[in-house]
Amino acid sequence: MAAAGIKLHPSCRVRQEGFGLLFYDCKGPRLLFAATGTLLPADYFGTVRARDEFPDGTSESQKPALQKFITQLLEKGFLREQ
Amino acid sequence: MSNKYVEMGMRSPVNLTWEVTLACNLRCNHCLSSSGEKACNELSTAEALDLVEQLHTAGVFQVNFGGGEPFIRPDFEEILAACHARGIMTCISTNGTLLTPELVARLASSPLVAIQVSLDGARRETCDAVRGDGVFDAAIAAVKLLAATKIPASINTVLTTHNASEIPAMHDLARSLGVSLRVSRFRPSGRGADNWESLRPTPTQLIDFSDWLAKSGDVRTGDSFFSLTTQERQGLGLNLCGAAKLTCCVSPTGHMYPCAFLQSDRFEAGDLRASSFQEIWDTSEIYASFRNLRIHSCEECTRFDQCHGGCPAVAWHLKNDINGGDPECLERCVTSIADNRLAEAA
Repeated sequence: MAAAGIKLHPSCRVRQEGFGLLFYDCKGPRLLFAATGTLLPADYFGTVRARDEFPDGTSESQKPALQKFITQLLEKGFLREQ
Repeated sequence: MSNKYVEMGMRSPVNLTWEVTLACNLRCNHCLSSSGEKACNELSTAEALDLVEQLHTAGVFQVNFGGGEPFIRPDFEEILAACHARGIMTCISTNGTLLTPELVARLASSPLVAIQVSLDGARRETCDAVRGDGVFDAAIAAVKLLAATKIPASINTVLTTHNASEIPAMHDLARSLGVSLRVSRFRPSGRGADNWESLRPTPTQLIDFSDWLAKSGDVRTGDSFFSLTTQERQGLGLNLCGAAKLTCCVSPTGHMYPCAFLQSDRFEAGDLRASSFQEIWDTSEIYASFRNLRIHSCEECTRFDQCHGGCPAVAWHLKNDINGGDPECLERCVTSIADNRLAEAA
């Protein structure tokens, strides 16, 4: 069986801002400001991704922080597994 | 809310209010935009659809449609569909009187729409005194139609002195109908200015409401009541005015303002017939002034971190001073009551 992927929750949107990523959940509504800089582009969340799949050029030293960030987004409901 | 990032400036609003028409079949006493007759020179269908495209390009997440009564516009469903086709979430504020089963079924075909039906009292007499005879029953019928679908629906109530005691009952009513309750702040703009003294909640009512709100986590208020928000609700929303920072307003004629309650020449940020949406958002001096607004007179207040001076629109309408601090904030309500008691004792 294939590993679960992650995707933006249908009630959420994300876009690039100067500081990084801005997440919006219309249920609330609530915002999440993520100071990710240019580590993750907003369109990364446009399709289903494996949890250990990161953009080309992501260094090994950056991956643990990004994995932690993805986990936080899942816990906060901005992402969901499918 | 992280003010640090908000103050850095957003590339576009997170959401915005778009009053698509001034036309309305009701004449509510508290209407913020004095709706009734259609405005001269409202945006055409082509202009409205072009604006949707611009909002999409700008990255706006959500459009909150109001008016007037949006469903009076014959092309409103076309505008909605254009938003949804671009992934823009929509929320419609309606009086509910024009919702039919057929229309609701069409609306329910999109997962990107939410609907608020205005209802201003748990009792028919209370609501209809503000909104007109028969409106309570029509709104309830509309809410029932919506509750039978997957559309996220809510009852939207403007808090006034006449319905303040009925808010808990409205919460119960909303629950019994299977929808949520949203309470909005009454502000002195439009017909609301004309009827301000007769409709405004008293300081005691505002404090009571604030206390009740603290215990009612599922009641939504948008950015209406951050000036009254207690510590218990701080995680639920804004702690500052989002006008020109996170949100803005587009009028039926395509003029842009900081918010729906400041739609006057003094606060016009731009005209979409003369400039693009992004250009107005990026370069408007009015927007820049709101982004730099600091309510220094409130900075010593112990609640400053919780409201940052409250609603500039209320300060403007009541004190003609955008920097004056919200005259109806929680702190001023408490002070007002204490002053009255002292005066009575003297």
